[in-house]
Amino acid sequence: MSEEADPPISILPSALAETQGDRPFVAIVRSRQELCRWLSNPLPGLRWLQVEGMLGDAEAWTEAAHSNCNIPLDVVVSDPASEFSHLYRLVDACAVRAIRVTMPAAPGLAKAIRLAAALRLPVRVLPGQPSAAALQELHDALQFYLHEATVEAPVEFFHSVLATMCDSDAGSLWTILEEDPDVFRHYDADGRARMPRTSDPDRSEITSAGFVKDHLSRLITQGAECATCPWQQPCRGYFKWPDPAYSCEGVKQLFSSIQTAGNEIRQDVASFAEADKGISSEPREATR
Amino acid sequence: MSERVFSVILLPTSDCNVACDYCFEHKEPHRLSLVLVPLLTRRLLDHIENQHIEECEIYWQGGEVMIMGPAWFEDARKIMDRAAAERGRRFVHYLQTNLIGYTPAWNGVIRGMFNNSLGTSMDYPNIHRKLFNGGAAAYTELWSRKLREAKAAGIAVGVIAVLHKGSLEAGPERFYRYFTEELGLADFQVNTPFPGGPAKEVEDGFQLDNSELAEFMVGLFDIWMAEGYSSGVSVGPFNSLIDHFTGEQARLPCIWKENCSNQFISVDAKGTVAQCDCWVTSYPEYFFGNMFREPDLTGMLKTSRARRDFVERPKRLVEDEDCLSCRYLSICHGGCPVRTYSALGTMMAKDPYCEVYKAVFACAEAHAAEILRARAAPIISLRERHKAVDPCLV
Repeated sequence: MSEEADPPISILPSALAETQGDRPFVAIVRSRQELCRWLSNPLPGLRWLQVEGMLGDAEAWTEAAHSNCNIPLDVVVSDPASEFSHLYRLVDACAVRAIRVTMPAAPGLAKAIRLAAALRLPVRVLPGQPSAAALQELHDALQFYLHEATVEAPVEFFHSVLATMCDSDAGSLWTILEEDPDVFRHYDADGRARMPRTSDPDRSEITSAGFVKDHLSRLITQGAECATCPWQQPCRGYFKWPDPAYSCEGVKQLFSSIQTAGNEIRQDVASFAEADKGISSEPREATR
Repeated sequence: MSERVFSVILLPTSDCNVACDYCFEHKEPHRLSLVLVPLLTRRLLDHIENQHIEECEIYWQGGEVMIMGPAWFEDARKIMDRAAAERGRRFVHYLQTNLIGYTPAWNGVIRGMFNNSLGTSMDYPNIHRKLFNGGAAAYTELWSRKLREAKAAGIAVGVIAVLHKGSLEAGPERFYRYFTEELGLADFQVNTPFPGGPAKEVEDGFQLDNSELAEFMVGLFDIWMAEGYSSGVSVGPFNSLIDHFTGEQARLPCIWKENCSNQFISVDAKGTVAQCDCWVTSYPEYFFGNMFREPDLTGMLKTSRARRDFVERPKRLVEDEDCLSCRYLSICHGGCPVRTYSALGTMMAKDPYCEVYKAVFACAEAHAAEILRARAAPIISLRERHKAVDPCLV
């Protein structure tokens, strides 16, 4: 899924999306009829469809596999523990369009990530402010992502944070997870902009640009642990939202594991680059 | 247009000209009439059009396909390819035959319709493939002669071998040498057996011990890697697994697909539709419908209750079996439904050859790692040399 700085991509319910025209937007579909409507006649601004509550609807996936347009799908798995096996329904549709699955850090996450990896489906995990049980799932999923050789597709946010730790600028968790309001503007059914992970549309933060910057500044001013956190750049206070008192002890262990893996990769790359330099400076056989 | 391919295992006859012990097919003299080929073609084209698929692969097999005669195939091809071209679609034809009926009269059809290649079958040792008059030794002699004639005509021949107790007793070395040296083949595939259809006494010979079978498969894999891999010999499914584990595009066999129900069907001479040839010839309880009586193949596949079991199987396996924790799930997905059904009477279980597959996958993974190491060897050896003079380079 691509990310654009200006204008923000609107993420809004299917009915509201009808008026978007060629402005960039993501339509949230919650029924087979809505899915078929956008697959059969997409507006020019449609970037992808966010498909919610439909993983168990086999008929919907048959339709998604037969449609002639190649609009990508972001399929939300809201309860990984009970829904993970339904990922097999996406196999046919994957052959004709890009499909990503999005799931919360919740019981069953590790199982869902295992199956998604087996089906080569990219994954976006929305960690929110994870509970102890969710942290254990995240930890198991991270170890699987980092060390299982059969994993081919990216698992976000692990993937982009790892890239950041290997000297590649992949942005902060806010952009990686498509929750930065400057880039991705979420709307409710009444058309009101809302902050991610909160149902309160009246939070004043949303009205101003630079939410992430302001949020981090506020946290630092308030003496939050972000001030001295070594992972402030890739995080930028992500785990302190909406509750600024959330303890980051558990998520710091996740960052630490990713950092360790990143260090190993950087060392490997550096040593191979050094050897490669040696090869290219080796005397070559004269051309006959 | 989708890049997907739809495959059809098409049985123009269930009749056969040989009498193999382990054949699970219900032999009958029924043949697909040329009068019905346009209807069959239309149904297939309607379906792939509904699915936005451009290409349909037709795997012609039987029974024994050569019973139909080369002229029948010439006519069928003309009907099918012309109809496909008119609708902007394409059929690609493949031939699987026992070769017993092969004569030079087939060469033109094989060249024009089947890209000058065919698939056939032979076991080592051959004790179960038999002529009606003459038994297994006569079969082997006749088949070998036909193989030589086909190869002499420039036809590329791939061979499928079904393993049995005798193969395991002979061992992988003799098995490999038979196909590569005695028959001079550069392309063969080993299949695990299964007791399709009604049980028969001889099928006891196909109930192989999994650990013995795994040992044989791994031994054969090792021999192929040592002697055949670098010299252009292709042994399926090992070659596909090496491709997979070395990061190349791999076309794994149907037994290891995410869901075989999405990718092919089988149709017999009477229009019966089922999952594959094993189902269409053996298990009426799993027929999807009849192509000549029902006007809409897409609708039939969508609504068939029998087919629903195939669609649901991989989902059930990750819920009920230990497949989800298996590191080879991405290349196996619980294995083959018909192997499971024929052994256990249900397809809602993982393939009984699970342990064999795991041994083969692990062997492939290890060999692939060696290949990747060998490709990186010049860099690694240079790095070692640099480390000798610069201990900081680690």
